[in-house]
Amino acid sequence: MISHEISESKESGAKYRGLLEAAPDAMVVVDQSGGIVLLNVQAEKQFGYHRDELLGQKVKNIIPEGFAERLIADGTRSAAEALAQQIGTGLELTGRRKDGSEFPIEIMLSPLESAEGILVTAAIRDISVRKAAEKHLAQMEGRYRGLLEAAPDAMVVVNQGGEIVLLNVQAEKQFGYSRDELVGKKVKSLIPEGFAERLIADDLRTAADALAQQIGTGLELIGHRKNGSEFPIEIMLSPLESAEGILVTAAIRDISVRKAAEKHLAQMEGRYRGLLEAAPDAMVVVNQGGEIVLLNVQAEKQFGYRRDELVGQKMKSLIPEGFAERLIADALRSAEDALAQQIGTGIELIARRKDGSDFPIEIMLSPLESAEGILVTAAIRDITARKAGEANLLVKVQELKRSNEELGQFAYIASHDLQEPLRMVASYTQLLSRRYKGKLDADADEFISFAVDGASRMQRLIQDLLAYSRVGTKGKDLLNTSSEEALQQALINLRGAIEESSALVTHDPLPAVMADEMQLVQLFQNLVGNAIKYQNPGTPRIHVSAVRSVGKKWIFSVKDNGLGIDPQYFERIFGMFQRLHKREEFAGTGIGLAICKKIVERHGGSISVESRPGQGATFRFSLAAGERTT
Amino acid sequence: MTVIEREKRFIEVFLVDDSTGDVRLTQEAFRAANASIHLHVVSDGVEALAFLKRQGAHVSAPRPDLILLDLNLPKMDGREVLAYIKKDDTLKTIPTAILSISDAEADIAKSYQLQANCYLTKPAQWDEFEALVKSINDFWLTRVQLPRAAGAVAP
Repeated sequence: MISHEISESKESGAKYRGLLEAAPDAMVVVDQSGGIVLLNVQAEKQFGYHRDELLGQKVKNIIPEGFAERLIADGTRSAAEALAQQIGTGLELTGRRKDGSEFPIEIMLSPLESAEGILVTAAIRDISVRKAAEKHLAQMEGRYRGLLEAAPDAMVVVNQGGEIVLLNVQAEKQFGYSRDELVGKKVKSLIPEGFAERLIADDLRTAADALAQQIGTGLELIGHRKNGSEFPIEIMLSPLESAEGILVTAAIRDISVRKAAEKHLAQMEGRYRGLLEAAPDAMVVVNQGGEIVLLNVQAEKQFGYRRDELVGQKMKSLIPEGFAERLIADALRSAEDALAQQIGTGIELIARRKDGSDFPIEIMLSPLESAEGILVTAAIRDITARKAGEANLLVKVQELKRSNEELGQFAYIASHDLQEPLRMVASYTQLLSRRYKGKLDADADEFISFAVDGASRMQRLIQDLLAYSRVGTKGKDLLNTSSEEALQQALINLRGAIEESSALVTHDPLPAVMADEMQLVQLFQNLVGNAIKYQNPGTPRIHVSAVRSVGKKWIFSVKDNGLGIDPQYFERIFGMFQRLHKREEFAGTGIGLAICKKIVERHGGSISVESRPGQGATFRFSLAAGERTT
Repeated sequence: MTVIEREKRFIEVFLVDDSTGDVRLTQEAFRAANASIHLHVVSDGVEALAFLKRQGAHVSAPRPDLILLDLNLPKMDGREVLAYIKKDDTLKTIPTAILSISDAEADIAKSYQLQANCYLTKPAQWDEFEALVKSINDFWLTRVQLPRAAGAVAP
């Protein structure tokens, strides 16, 4: 009867009618006694009644339990209180259709003031689908939960109606919803376009076909977060048979990073392409994961791949060993450190072409800052030719060394064997001279004297040549040697010359050096001997000293007060057969200093002279320091 | 007594050298040093052994008082001859001096290992050569007491 009054109240009736009909849910207005006073078309459909059949009827007819009770005041609360308690909360109840069938509903209550007192508007939603899903979910939960949660990607299970029935934590995170907010929702709210359409059958195909077409293919779509932001995703679909028919499991991967990299790559392409292509070497840009992101034509040629075959590939396929390892951080160093260690250093490695053949390369790495972090540009040079050249050079060096040794042997053997016949010549001309001097005529004496002199000089020459060639061929290992003892020995050998010239030879304490002792003796002997020989009238004064130099070396000096040497001859005097004086002035073969030079150089040192004519000369040579024995 | 006996006979020196020039130099030097020396000369190792064993043309060869042996010889070299001499009980008591142009340490060491009595290097100058031969004469053929014959040594 109240409803009758309201229905007759034209203003209020018209006012609510429009509102009710616009609502997507079934709407029923109930008075405080539980009688239906107003309803919309959706309510008619949902419960299968005609409007007339419901108006004035108790709401209990369509919602047998749990609704009417809530409206009614009892001893403990007033009607207003009872209502207030329920307003705004979604109640899950059971609806009953005219045909007696029941279905789950959710109702939302709101108060409606009227002349007849407070009425209650109930928005009634059929939640059959959600309930079924929830039920299914509960079953599935047990079965698939572990599997889903273990997946690295966001996983969403969707029914053929496009509604989400199951999801994992990753999906919650990725889309910014809580699980409850998503279950039962259309997947369209997460992926507005391109996904739901794929699942739904149309005139041209069955649901199974629609699904089959999509299974296993990665689709790139756009995902929608709860906060309205969008992000690129890749989804992979797979079927999941269930009691409710085939469900679809969608693995959803956030590909923001990859997309950004791709975008960046496209930008880089534009920026660096010219630069890369201008480089004479093969150039490959690699990310910290060791994947190729960019390369030039030379790289394509050198490795025999097409560009698209290489982009995204691991660098390991081009350089199997030694490259990737260099980029990757480990427990001992960060990625930056790992890279920093390699920057700018030429590394020789082995590269592999597409056809499997290997070739030697040299790579230079340099960092390339990008939005995705530091990339590495590798300049790769094919050093096949250089390696071949090096190998060839090595062969040539060996050949040269051998031929040099042969030459040394030849010089040694030749001068050695020349000694024998020369000894005959010398001995017999001397015998002639001794036995027949003054017994033949004056010419004979003179001729014999020239022969004797020539033979003697040739003997000295050959002896010196032998000594020279022995430096190289008969040298001993360099051992810790007292240079002071070597000098003493040289002075003993020179005793005759020293006494004859009354030379004064002095020396500082001299160090241990790495030397062939015999050769060191000869070195001192030649230098001190020269100093005694090339003298002014007066007392020859010779001083030997040594100072420590850089690189564990000692610099020895043999200083005299003799004739001195014109600087223009400084280089020349160390050459073979080089003499600065006439034979009549000073005897000698011009090999002594050449021997000195060869000895010093064999010891890894160098020899030089400093002098001014008339002011003496100082010969300096360097030798490696030995171990201190005292 | 020994000195008196030595004066009675020639001193037999056996020279093994294939260099005719050196042989002549040695002869000249010995002539100057000691007129009572018989210098017997062969030019290869095989013949040297034949002489020492008094074989073939050398059946009447004397037992040398001193052997001067060159190292580098045709057919059988001086080292082999030396080894043979020093293994032979009758020959080993004859002083054997190596007279070679070589001054190589290896040659010297090897010769003494084979029990050469001394090792001499041929000088390159006549005066020195003459002096060397004179010193051989003065020492080995004058100063040194030599065994009279192989049989004189008790085994």
